[in-house]
Amino acid sequence: MNSIVRHLILKDLYLMRWLIGGSIVAGLLSLAMMPLGKIFAYVGGVSLICVLIVLNIFLVMTNVVQEKKDKVLLFILSLPVSTREYTVAKVLANTIAFTVPWLVLTAANIVMIDVSQIPNGILPFWLAVLAYLLFYYCSLLAVSLVTESTGWHTTAIIIGNVSVNFLIPILLSRPSVTAHGDGPVAVWTGDILAIIAVELLAGVAALGLAVYLHSRRPDFV
Amino acid sequence: MTTPAIELAHVEKVYRYFRLSDASLRLEAGQIMGLVGPNGAGKSTTIRILMGMIRQDRGEVRVLGRSMPREQAAAKRDIGFVSEDMRLYGAATLAWHMRFVASIYPDWDAKYADLLVRRFNLHPDQSIKALSHGERVKATLLLALAHRPRLLLLDEPTTGLDPVARHEVLAELMDALRDEHRAILFSSHNTHDVEQISDVITFLDRGRVIDSSDKETFLDRWRRVHLDLPPDVAMPVLPGTVDTSVSGRVVVVTTSAYSAEVHAACQQAGVTIREVQRMTLEEIFVANVMSKRGEMPS
Repeated sequence: MNSIVRHLILKDLYLMRWLIGGSIVAGLLSLAMMPLGKIFAYVGGVSLICVLIVLNIFLVMTNVVQEKKDKVLLFILSLPVSTREYTVAKVLANTIAFTVPWLVLTAANIVMIDVSQIPNGILPFWLAVLAYLLFYYCSLLAVSLVTESTGWHTTAIIIGNVSVNFLIPILLSRPSVTAHGDGPVAVWTGDILAIIAVELLAGVAALGLAVYLHSRRPDFV
Repeated sequence: MTTPAIELAHVEKVYRYFRLSDASLRLEAGQIMGLVGPNGAGKSTTIRILMGMIRQDRGEVRVLGRSMPREQAAAKRDIGFVSEDMRLYGAATLAWHMRFVASIYPDWDAKYADLLVRRFNLHPDQSIKALSHGERVKATLLLALAHRPRLLLLDEPTTGLDPVARHEVLAELMDALRDEHRAILFSSHNTHDVEQISDVITFLDRGRVIDSSDKETFLDRWRRVHLDLPPDVAMPVLPGTVDTSVSGRVVVVTTSAYSAEVHAACQQAGVTIREVQRMTLEEIFVANVMSKRGEMPS
């Protein structure tokens, strides 16, 4: 990684520090609620999903869409950076900004389920949901980076949010999830591992495609 | 021979409702070029092509000897860019922006940056969103100047500034040119600003470079000549005539090639020259644009 890309990444992470930190705190509070009872487990789980979705939307909106809309992009592109370096830096900074809270909250989720009364059998379901939220983030970032349009950004958010509502019943309808969901041990069936793998690979592919398309654009402002 | 700061050769950029056509420009080191044109003339497009932010469809662009947009990262190490509509991060302070830009440019001159902070009466700890338009322009100019670029590309930097702020900005640009190797391309639709600081002036209209010359040549060769035309005398053809208006016996000719030949032609035709008026850059610009629009295919 060259020096200018590193500077741009650090700049973005600095500007997003409160959002990153705040989402980790809010996510941990949501997780802390989950062992307190059935209702709290539901509320905490929904809150955790909401925290990651809000983080997703705000990161992309402030760091990609707004930067272009507010003409801050002119300032950044006036620096000694090529358009490809800018794209790579933007994708890496945003990926770090989301992935760090996502990893912290995913790890905390695993620990919380392991040490609490919540059955460990629910863990594959939760990881499939969290992996989907990572894919959602990658997709929203890719769409916003390529289109740089508030309209497309909003459309992608609506589709993404609605899709989460479909994802949960779809996962809960799969025998591989329901058969062991209340069990004391997490059972990693081929089905659930394939779902998680597809979600992660699709996220990486979306970002790769975004870098390819964005860096080939003739006009950046 | 030094490398020109800017070379644009037959550059074309086509949009749905705008076309920059066959634009050719050359700016030598140490010169200030004023790029003058009405709104929508193509000034910003030209400057953004020079910055590598927009890729030209045709033609060659070299900035400080680098081919653009391919070598834009290397070229931009020596370019300072300010645009009227450029914004900084609203939530961050000017001091943070100064540290950020300083970390990128090894030639950042901290003493000069501090001097500019004082001259522009800026407050480094103030967040950008709290700055007025004039302060924001001065802040972006500070960030562009303090890394001591060899080339400054300024896209309408004085637009929307009050007279005092405009004076401060123009004075700083003049000061920046004490370095004889530094070049400035300055776009504006305010001919007064351009006239104040430019050595070379280029007129742009509807995506075409319609004229380009050094300022003195423009001011010397453009004149408004008032003639007394007797009833039985035919109007002579004067060199460089771009406009003629008649009011009774008085004929006013605007010429872009004023010289002794104009006097000779009038004398030969028996026409008396009543008055020869110098023209301001704004009058030259408007006359030039109107005459070239008449020649352009619609």
